Amino acid sequence: MTKGNAYTYHIERKADETFLDSTELILNMGPQHPSTHGVLRVVLKLDGEKVLGTDCVIGYLHRGVEKIAENRTYAMFNPYVDRMDYTAAVSNGLGYCLAVEKLLNVEAPPRAQFIRVILTELNRLASHQVWLGTHALDIGALTPLFYAFRDREEILKIFEKYCGARLTTHAFRIGGCIYEAYEGFEKEVTDFCNKFEPKIDEYEELLTTNRIWVERTKGVGILSGQECIELGVTGPVLRASGVKWDLRKAQPYSGYDKFDFDIPVGANGDTYDRYLVRIAELRQSVRIIRQAVAGIPEGPIMAKVPKVIKPPAGEVYVSIEAPKGELGYFIVSDGSTQPYRVRVRPPSFVNLQALDKMVRGQLVADVVAVIGTLDIVLGEVDR
Amino acid sequence: MLEYLRSYMSQPVTPGEAGNFLWATIYILLVVAGVSLAVLFMNWAERKALAHMQIRLGPMRVGPHGLLQPIADAVKLLTKEDIVPVGADKLVFYLAPVLVVITAWTVFLVVPFGPTYAVTDMNIGILFMLGVSSLGVLGIVMAGWASNSHYPLLGSLRSSAQMVSYEVAMGLAIVSAVMMTALDGHGLYGVAANHLETSGTLSMIGIVNSQAEQGTWFIFKFFPLGLIAFVVFAIAMIAETNRAPFDLPEAESELVAGFHTEYSGFRWSLFFLAEYSAMVAVSSIAVTLWLGGWLRPFASVHGPQITIPGYWQGGALDFAFSLLPALTFFLLAGFCFIGFVRMPKLPALRLQTLGLGAFGAVLALVALFLLVPAVRDRVQPIYWFVVKVSVFMYLYIWYRGTFPRYRFDQLMKVGWKVLLPIAIGVLVATAVLGVAL
Amino acid sequence: MSLGPLLRKIFFVDLFKGMAVTFKAQHPDACMTEQYPLERPVIAERYRGLHRLNVDPDTGQSLCIACDLCALACPEKLISMTSERDPNTKKKVMLTYNLDLSRCMFCGLCEDACPTDCLELSQDYEYALYSRDGLVLDRERLEKGPEPTVYLR
Repeated sequence: MTKGNAYTYHIERKADETFLDSTELILNMGPQHPSTHGVLRVVLKLDGEKVLGTDCVIGYLHRGVEKIAENRTYAMFNPYVDRMDYTAAVSNGLGYCLAVEKLLNVEAPPRAQFIRVILTELNRLASHQVWLGTHALDIGALTPLFYAFRDREEILKIFEKYCGARLTTHAFRIGGCIYEAYEGFEKEVTDFCNKFEPKIDEYEELLTTNRIWVERTKGVGILSGQECIELGVTGPVLRASGVKWDLRKAQPYSGYDKFDFDIPVGANGDTYDRYLVRIAELRQSVRIIRQAVAGIPEGPIMAKVPKVIKPPAGEVYVSIEAPKGELGYFIVSDGSTQPYRVRVRPPSFVNLQALDKMVRGQLVADVVAVIGTLDIVLGEVDR
Repeated sequence: MLEYLRSYMSQPVTPGEAGNFLWATIYILLVVAGVSLAVLFMNWAERKALAHMQIRLGPMRVGPHGLLQPIADAVKLLTKEDIVPVGADKLVFYLAPVLVVITAWTVFLVVPFGPTYAVTDMNIGILFMLGVSSLGVLGIVMAGWASNSHYPLLGSLRSSAQMVSYEVAMGLAIVSAVMMTALDGHGLYGVAANHLETSGTLSMIGIVNSQAEQGTWFIFKFFPLGLIAFVVFAIAMIAETNRAPFDLPEAESELVAGFHTEYSGFRWSLFFLAEYSAMVAVSSIAVTLWLGGWLRPFASVHGPQITIPGYWQGGALDFAFSLLPALTFFLLAGFCFIGFVRMPKLPALRLQTLGLGAFGAVLALVALFLLVPAVRDRVQPIYWFVVKVSVFMYLYIWYRGTFPRYRFDQLMKVGWKVLLPIAIGVLVATAVLGVAL
Repeated sequence: MSLGPLLRKIFFVDLFKGMAVTFKAQHPDACMTEQYPLERPVIAERYRGLHRLNVDPDTGQSLCIACDLCALACPEKLISMTSERDPNTKKKVMLTYNLDLSRCMFCGLCEDACPTDCLELSQDYEYALYSRDGLVLDRERLEKGPEPTVYLR
């Protein structure tokens, strides 16, 4: 199979071959598809139902975010980063602010760090809820989607009360937070945690031991730890393959070293393990939130940052553990008010490379399950 | 005229058997209307029940609580543009939905709603039902082929392979139930003293009558064999009708819509009608064979049930049970009344509130009508049959709301490697027990 | 397979547990639907909705001091205003104010930049239009608010 151009694929046929002889079928899971989590085009080379190879065509959601960054000041670019991984906008903002703060050599005050951790972990819960609902929907279970979005609704209400927007939060600023925790913030977050933990048990009861779910996800899309490291895959996918690597423990940022939590690790690297790892991460995030809410210190929420941000010339790479993997920002500053280059390392983009390896030899129905388990967001893949 | 009606009412056989064409036609029209009404109601019930399981409300705007939604859907489908794909085989394209609907409705010729409430009672009733519902597979293959597009073709081939595989397990489960009709004993493990004098029957009314004579529903007979056969049939019937968790041929996430992708408007609604009618049909098979058909729970036996008034001349318990249909309708009217009271008092909703109140009043009138003794005694069998089939319909919706989908190879594995051996095992065990006991 | 898991497999325990979860979810208290437009959502105080230019409630004068900071802060350069210096008070007074909503992402940087509480992102979210002309808000519209059509039925 050769590529004509970006949009056409040709199968080389022998001279006397007819339509009935060929065993390969090119199937296009096109950009408009109920299960590709955005505008992703996957061209499958099939032998009957078995997948022989895949080719991902991306770029349908490319908006030129990195180019926009070169024409905005550092503070002005902050709202744009939310739009990349739009299911977990707070993480994007945190990564960017940490990167610029590192360039400026300032650190956010402790109270701001705690508020940042609470919001980032809530945002991790929200992102995993989207993953849970859509992944279950792809595999055929219709109801976990609604249960997951019910809980996500509560989180988004907290975001709305805190920073004024549900999805594109723009919650943090360079140097700390601009919004003080509102009246009743701690109580609401604690109430949410208390209401949410039984719901995790509800999801487990609905799916974890369900024989149909287990049959659909066990042994599907296996990726070994070594392959993950070779491909650069990070996040829950890496941890489910047996590699215990979490940036919150390995390179702590924003005060994560003050909290006590576990890193769930899987054994086989199949879809079922990735499911179990993410469900365990839900529980660990609730644990972190409870500790953070219990121990918020008093104090200022914004560090001393000049009104016009002009970092010294240099470059910095800061990465955080976003819900989908390692989200990194590489910022090159030339001493002016606008960055010279902002390069975002999106976790979904790198994880999507693993799709081909995971899906070879499996059936078409498994492709949908594997795309769901990689938890990709096209806003991040294409930027 | 009244004499003619009254003389008809005490007939001991179904109109088909009596050779009475007029009444047979009237029954056929009643059955078709009833099944269509059931499909309409099932559309509303599925959307509401599935929505409530998914913690949302479902249709609320069209009529009060969405009661007019099926009518709105029907009107929309009838007025849609009829698209025939380029290159489609026109004759086959037109015929496929018609074939599926005809087979789905022909099955209802032998379904008994009461001791003589069937269009006809063939002596091969259950075999006829199984055979005609198998013809529906042909309609699906025709639909996939005629669409001239590879998604429907794949979907129809998968669907037909699935239906054919699960029919084998269905058939074996049915055989083990039919074997129990030959027993003529009494109680859960009873068999007649002299087996050779009794004979089993394939006729649907005969199967229910033998359950009445043996004093137990076949689901409890030779416990747990009847139960296992019932469970095998229950799983196979879900796969037969392409419903969750066996609905891969229709799964949106993989094949858009399977064999009916290219059908739009009225033709699609024919497929929809056929699918839900098939669901009602296989549920009626399950109800008739294992759950005692039109018999009420703890039915008392007064000899062979031929004359209707005679059957229901029982004691206080019979009288109490005979009030149940009216009570059910009063309960439904009560729900309407509660909804009426709880509607928000907004001018925009005035018409809906009135509609709900009127609907509740109509239900209450039906309940009062069901208290009239002449009607009350005759409606019992129909009521119990409908209640049991409704339970199955609710189970269908419940399964759709709960379970993920099986992948196609896993689906075939369940059909051939799990259900078939179990069905054969139950068949052999029933036969052995029937002879040995 | 040991006895426990075998029995659980035969008697469909896992399937029944899932069915119990969905059955319990049917309780009317569990339903989360807000029937808009009959039931309106409760909007948070900090919600970043449609822009509003606030006036002093006592005098009716606009609180704007024409500092142009909001226009400088907007990432998409959507705000434009003209001003003149009032000869009596020697203070700048805003004349016209234009805000283009077509590319606004409601980030709130203009609201953060305003030194008086003049420019504010209010809680209005109902501003759908039939044509793009209404997307450029002028001073009058910004001071009055969106005024959506209320349908009686």
